[in-house]
Amino acid sequence: MSQASPIAIERPRTQSKARLLLIPARIILGAVFIYAAYAKLHFNGAWHLRDYYFFFAMGIDSYKMLPLAIVEWMAKILPWLELGLGTLLIVGAGVRWVGLMVTALLAVFMAALAHAALGGLEINCGCFGNNSVKPSHELIVDGVLITLALAVTLGGFLSRRGGNSQA
Amino acid sequence: MKRLNVKFVFFALVGLVLPALLSAGPRQSAAASKPAPVQDMTALKSMGSREAPITIEVFSDYQCPQCRVFYLDTARQLMQSYIPAGKVYYVHRDFPLSMHSHSREAARWATAAAMAGAFQTTEETLYSKQDQWGATGKIEDVLAAALSPTDMKKVRTIEATQGTQIDAAIAKDMALGESRGVNGTPSIYVLHKGQMTPLPPGGVNYSLLKQYIDYLLQQH
Repeated sequence: MSQASPIAIERPRTQSKARLLLIPARIILGAVFIYAAYAKLHFNGAWHLRDYYFFFAMGIDSYKMLPLAIVEWMAKILPWLELGLGTLLIVGAGVRWVGLMVTALLAVFMAALAHAALGGLEINCGCFGNNSVKPSHELIVDGVLITLALAVTLGGFLSRRGGNSQA
Repeated sequence: MKRLNVKFVFFALVGLVLPALLSAGPRQSAAASKPAPVQDMTALKSMGSREAPITIEVFSDYQCPQCRVFYLDTARQLMQSYIPAGKVYYVHRDFPLSMHSHSREAARWATAAAMAGAFQTTEETLYSKQDQWGATGKIEDVLAAALSPTDMKKVRTIEATQGTQIDAAIAKDMALGESRGVNGTPSIYVLHKGQMTPLPPGGVNYSLLKQYIDYLLQQH
């Protein structure tokens, strides 16, 4: 008759607590991404499903970082990518890889914001459509978001590792 | 009886005329103290046909570098293509920012030029020579080199004599901008089928604006 050691019982308990803590982080991050997509598709009191990309492309272009072809391509797909990633985060599907993609995306956003802030560009960041603020302010918001994204990603990988080692 | 009649006529006249004089008095003084109505400069600072399906309204500051870029790279191309074709009505609105030392003065000269019928050349000169007058503040000299002597004489006269009107017109543009939440320049609005849409702040690339205009024109 074998008895589980106290250490072996303690590890799953800590892991489950960490997993519980990551749920609100995941939901907050997912909600922010869904809101970011919504703000790009719905503004001035109406849905802009057919013409949203003109406005978003103008916003991305104001950073003066990318060629126009890439700007247009990004403007077309980014709101839908944000919507997809936000939904997956809330649902909790593929948390590790979704978390990794969100972290990478936020890192790219932060690099663009830093470029705009350092260059003294008087633009709206465009992150939340017309409700956006100056790039320097948005950097702080993105700093918090990337911390959450990192926590979600690491949590996802660690819980997977823990699950595998137990198996 | 005759004296009674005279008295009656006198009091009747006093009774009728005095209230009329008293009531007319304040009205006249109110009219005299009322400031002259602000002349609507919209048409004078606009380009194209008012009947155009799209109106582009730009709140701009002549000393703002991004406004210069927008004018030289985007607005000028609009002026060559969509405006003569009657597809776009382009409206300039003054929004001089306090951070720029000469922008209000530049707006005054541009408004005087609009009243003199020389707005387009003045606007072109103010943006293309922004570095020059922005550094020295010598707006009048820069304009004198660009406008014809006759036009410059008219502009100088209007600038010197109609200061109140000019300031009121600029204030009217600024009040309109503030009512829409404008806090930076250039702030661009597109009006199409009664729908006013603000474009992202900081100027717009011509190619992207062209795509958007073409998209709106296809809606007709």
